[in-house]
Amino acid sequence: MTTLTPTRGGTASRRPVPSPSAPGRVREGGTILAVPALVWYLVFMVGPLAAIFVVAALHWPGMLQPVTFAGLGNVRTVLDDPVFWEAVRNTAVQLAVALPVMIGCAYMLGYYVAQRPPGHRVVRYLLFVPGLISTPAKAMVFYAALSPDGLVNGALTAVGLESLTDAWLASPSTALGALIALDLWSGIGFTAVLFAARLSSVPDEVGEAAQLDGAGHWRTMWRVHFPVIRDYVGVVTMLQFLWTLFGSAQHVLLLTQGGPGASSTTLSFLVYQKAFIAADLGYSQTVGVFLFLTGLVGLLLIRRSFRQNY
Amino acid sequence: MKLGKSWLPAHVLVWTYVVLLVVPLYYFLSSAFKTNEEIFASPFAPPSSLDPGNFSTAFHRADLGLAVVNSGLVTGFSLVLTLALAIPAAFALARSTGRLASALEKVFSLGFLVPTFAALFPTFLLAAATGLFHTRTFMVLFLPATAMPLSVVILVQFMRTVPGEMEEAARIDGASTFAVLRHVYMPMCLPGIATVLLLNFLTFWNEYLYSLVIIGPDPAQRTVQVALPTLKAITGTDYGVLTAGTVLTLVPVWVVYTVLQKRMQRALISGAVKM
Repeated sequence: MTTLTPTRGGTASRRPVPSPSAPGRVREGGTILAVPALVWYLVFMVGPLAAIFVVAALHWPGMLQPVTFAGLGNVRTVLDDPVFWEAVRNTAVQLAVALPVMIGCAYMLGYYVAQRPPGHRVVRYLLFVPGLISTPAKAMVFYAALSPDGLVNGALTAVGLESLTDAWLASPSTALGALIALDLWSGIGFTAVLFAARLSSVPDEVGEAAQLDGAGHWRTMWRVHFPVIRDYVGVVTMLQFLWTLFGSAQHVLLLTQGGPGASSTTLSFLVYQKAFIAADLGYSQTVGVFLFLTGLVGLLLIRRSFRQNY
Repeated sequence: MKLGKSWLPAHVLVWTYVVLLVVPLYYFLSSAFKTNEEIFASPFAPPSSLDPGNFSTAFHRADLGLAVVNSGLVTGFSLVLTLALAIPAAFALARSTGRLASALEKVFSLGFLVPTFAALFPTFLLAAATGLFHTRTFMVLFLPATAMPLSVVILVQFMRTVPGEMEEAARIDGASTFAVLRHVYMPMCLPGIATVLLLNFLTFWNEYLYSLVIIGPDPAQRTVQVALPTLKAITGTDYGVLTAGTVLTLVPVWVVYTVLQKRMQRALISGAVKM
């Protein structure tokens, strides 16, 4: 981390020096060189994002069907749909469980690694692994682990707990839990490494002073180090919030297809499902708008609650 | 600080998590060399032979060879385009002090907060409208746009560290703006460029949902991440083949990670949190 934080002082020391060959404008500017990147960004990212709001106001029952203006009609349809509310509930449960557990565990794990206990290099190497694996590969890992004749049931049978075996991904009571487990399994390690990197840039004296005052590691970790990197924790929480909120569509698609029933349908999967499986495009993008606004409000709330307060 | 006896629970918990990370990977690697019967009978036993049969089955059934080539093409061209767009942009933003430039920089750094997934369907419409639906070309054009915020912000930070005197010296020798970029800034920002390449290599290679929707299931075009889940359906429950296929798709990433471990860790850490 330390090697990648160049100072921002570079600009201050730069003075325009007149030279006969190039007028000052050219040297100062070249801002025009930023235009292609900006155009690219606007066309492929901002444009489609704005289009969500347009499609949300259309009645569009399939790619080749005639399109009519629906106004707020889609909003009414969505709000009257029990599946939407089940998706809201699932997403809320997913966020409420995954986010605090992940950030809490990852912070403690990061603190642990930052103390350089024996074997911390091995731990650090392995914590990165889920960060490298693609979503389909992670989903295959979980598919192989949780399918009826997979790893978990095999392990349970091996230790004589056959009564606990279950079709984890196909049972309404465990499907959502399996998705949350996937979030945690892959998220904690990577997040912990982020925290460890940030914690190792906190001066050692801070911790030592606390120890001299008789504080144990538990107190030092939460009362001394946590406040110091509080805003960083906030930023990481924001990112994990976004990844969980929007990224769950892929996990659901690969593992449970939202079922059984709608028991593991999350909001982002609902967007996907209504657009590409049910071909109800206005509905899909209305949920998309809802999702986007949820993301925005969530970000603001997280930012507020992690504001540096010393 | 000294780690006393009270750390025992912490050691236990951490290593439990590490085991949870490793066991599925071990299971994958060993199952790739086993038959279904062997996997069910003894899931944790090491394979009795290193028979690559599962790998070749996976390779042929899901056309993985072609898929790897497709993924390589999409990733490679996208990386080139990303650099071609981001380097000049970062160069411009790092050198200018005007209000416009700082506004532009803000636009790019806000891009972190734009969730790519939200715009999946409109992007699909865009692909259809440009006539590039079901082509890898659209992904090559599209992926760099998603990478722009991160790449520009990282490169700007690196380019700010280039001392202004270096440019002045080059200018006195009559260098053009392009020459300054090519011969002064780029050589000095190689670590930054490497970071951007590594991060985006990982994202592009692992990209799934957009590839699925836009490139589609045509074996001649699809990427390896799209081909991989089809093994689940094709093979039914032939876990040996499924795990072998998954292991195959991980090889390129694993090779890069092992060779460039330190740099990659630093890149991932710096890339995750840049706001």
